[in-house]
Amino acid sequence: MSVSELTLLVLRLGFLLVLWLFIFGIVYALRSDLFGQRVRKQQQDAAASAPPVAFAAVPTPVPAATLPPAAASATALTEQLTARPAAPPARSGPERATAKNATRLVITSGPKSGTEFPLTSDSVTIGRSGDSSLVIRDDYTSTHHARLMLWNEEWMIQDLDSTNGTFLNGSRLAVPTPVPLDTPVKIGATSFELRR
Amino acid sequence: MMPPSNSRGTATAAAQRPQGAKPVRVRRLHLPQKLRNLELFLLLIACGINAAAVVLVQLGALGHVDTTLVLLGAGLSVLVLCMHVVLRLVARDADPFILPIASLLNGIGVAMIYRIDIANGDAGWDSSAVRQTVWSALAIACAIAVLLIIRNHRVLFRYTYVAGFVAVVLLLLPLVPGLGREVSGARVWIGIGSFATFQPGEIAKIALAVFFAGYLVQGRDSLSMVGKRFLGMRFPRLRDLGPILVVWALSMSVIIFQRDLGTALLYFGLFLVMLYLATGRLSWVLLGMTLFLGGAIIASQTLEYVNGRFTNWLDALNPDVYGASGGSYQLVQGLFGLAKGGLIGTGLGQGRPDITPVPQSDYIIASLGEELGLAGLFAILALYLLFVARGFRIGFAGNDDFGKLLGVGLSFVVALQCFIVIGGVTRVIPLTGLTTPFLAAGGSSLVANWIIAALLLRLSDTLRNQPRLVI
Repeated sequence: MSVSELTLLVLRLGFLLVLWLFIFGIVYALRSDLFGQRVRKQQQDAAASAPPVAFAAVPTPVPAATLPPAAASATALTEQLTARPAAPPARSGPERATAKNATRLVITSGPKSGTEFPLTSDSVTIGRSGDSSLVIRDDYTSTHHARLMLWNEEWMIQDLDSTNGTFLNGSRLAVPTPVPLDTPVKIGATSFELRR
Repeated sequence: MMPPSNSRGTATAAAQRPQGAKPVRVRRLHLPQKLRNLELFLLLIACGINAAAVVLVQLGALGHVDTTLVLLGAGLSVLVLCMHVVLRLVARDADPFILPIASLLNGIGVAMIYRIDIANGDAGWDSSAVRQTVWSALAIACAIAVLLIIRNHRVLFRYTYVAGFVAVVLLLLPLVPGLGREVSGARVWIGIGSFATFQPGEIAKIALAVFFAGYLVQGRDSLSMVGKRFLGMRFPRLRDLGPILVVWALSMSVIIFQRDLGTALLYFGLFLVMLYLATGRLSWVLLGMTLFLGGAIIASQTLEYVNGRFTNWLDALNPDVYGASGGSYQLVQGLFGLAKGGLIGTGLGQGRPDITPVPQSDYIIASLGEELGLAGLFAILALYLLFVARGFRIGFAGNDDFGKLLGVGLSFVVALQCFIVIGGVTRVIPLTGLTTPFLAAGGSSLVANWIIAALLLRLSDTLRNQPRLVI
């Protein structure tokens, strides 16, 4: 059996083509990593999480007086970014969240407010990407938005150059900042607090 | 930690990480393994491309298809499919791209080595392609063992200093009289009797990555926080220079005693990148590069073999250098091969890559460039790019610092090795003897790189198993 020059030419071009198709296949499968996760509409989200069976709302264990106004309206499901009240003035001596006194992260506003998330000694990555520990899929969140981490046993939040910023108690973060207990951190349309 | 409250239980169940609730566990059993199915799909395509490569080599070089195909093509495919099954069982959330990419690179390498065997008239157990397949089997068995034994990468953190010790011992082994072997000038091999040679430095790079990651997690505060500002950068204190000087001395001794420029560059580059990653200070990189360049320039003036490498690189096309013994003949033949390949190559089995000395190991990139052309070479580079990008990605998404450093360190070692060897063959930097990861003929390199792939898979699996909440 011998093969003609033409067959060989076609075969070798075909081989290169298949090789590149394989690569583009991988890139296509990776597209959410390269170009960011697809955005879902906020309204659909709220509707989807309307039956609150899966997410038992946590009764607020902290007295309302110590909470800023943002957290007081925690149960509002569709709170808009623009509708947020201005940040309250800094409270006197908020206790910083440390590895010892903070045990959970509670979502206080946004489509899944009331849900909570256990804190371990690992840092918590927040963003739209599927790899994040706390995945927030809305229009305002960046793929890798922010990170909560332990520095010297203290919880710090760091903004990872996100487009729309991370707000601690209403002010936008520029440098890694210690997070006080029961103080709202706002990312996109979602706020959360660190609690005991 | 706090005892699990009722609300937490439901929140974790929503994030599909069952911890105790029985109905959820049942549901998890029925969860389709999306990632693994994607991996299987890509893996089957990769095996198909590998088989096609062997067929094309036979059609091009022999003009017909024979049964060697069964051994070479099917052997590797069965092995990687075994690894896929192991992943399904013990690391179901591992990254789905690493295994197909590694398999494809390994398979293309075997096909190319087989092609050189045909040109050299080697067959049966003498041929490098059969040996490469056997080494692949061993390497994949090692990778499976790593996946089975290391169930969480943080175990490695405990063995930080053991890893450092192992790395130093592995580096010193080739210098032991009677055990070390000198191959084409470099004393980086060990061997028992006349066969079974092994390059312990390849395994040492993994041990070093583990050691650097563990050490830097523990000691990075003093390396990153203090120091004087100068030229807009914070420079370290004199007494914090200890570690970088030790690694520098280690690399320099590899250059002097083992006469291996590439390995030294690989180790030092790995340390520098991990140091930068851990401290975020550019001054370390500047300092390190100054140290290494200074050392390399002194070595090029004083050590004859380094000087020769530089001459071959800068003055490759000079007829005197080309014709000299130990001159640039090999490098220039490789370049001629690449030029002959052109845009789409001569076709597998239809070029003359065997004219270049050692076309199946150091020069496999030139051989592939000749037969697959620029289009094929760029496809291979794209595969490396994807592999390394996945590794960086795994490191980036990691939550613990040790995993981050280890993931990035391991994938950077693959990237740097590609750069050193492909840059050397294409005359971007002076040529130094290193193997092209996964492609080149050489057992130690295959074993080391498959272990790296297994560690990255394990890292990506533990990473996705962290508690998660999706909003």
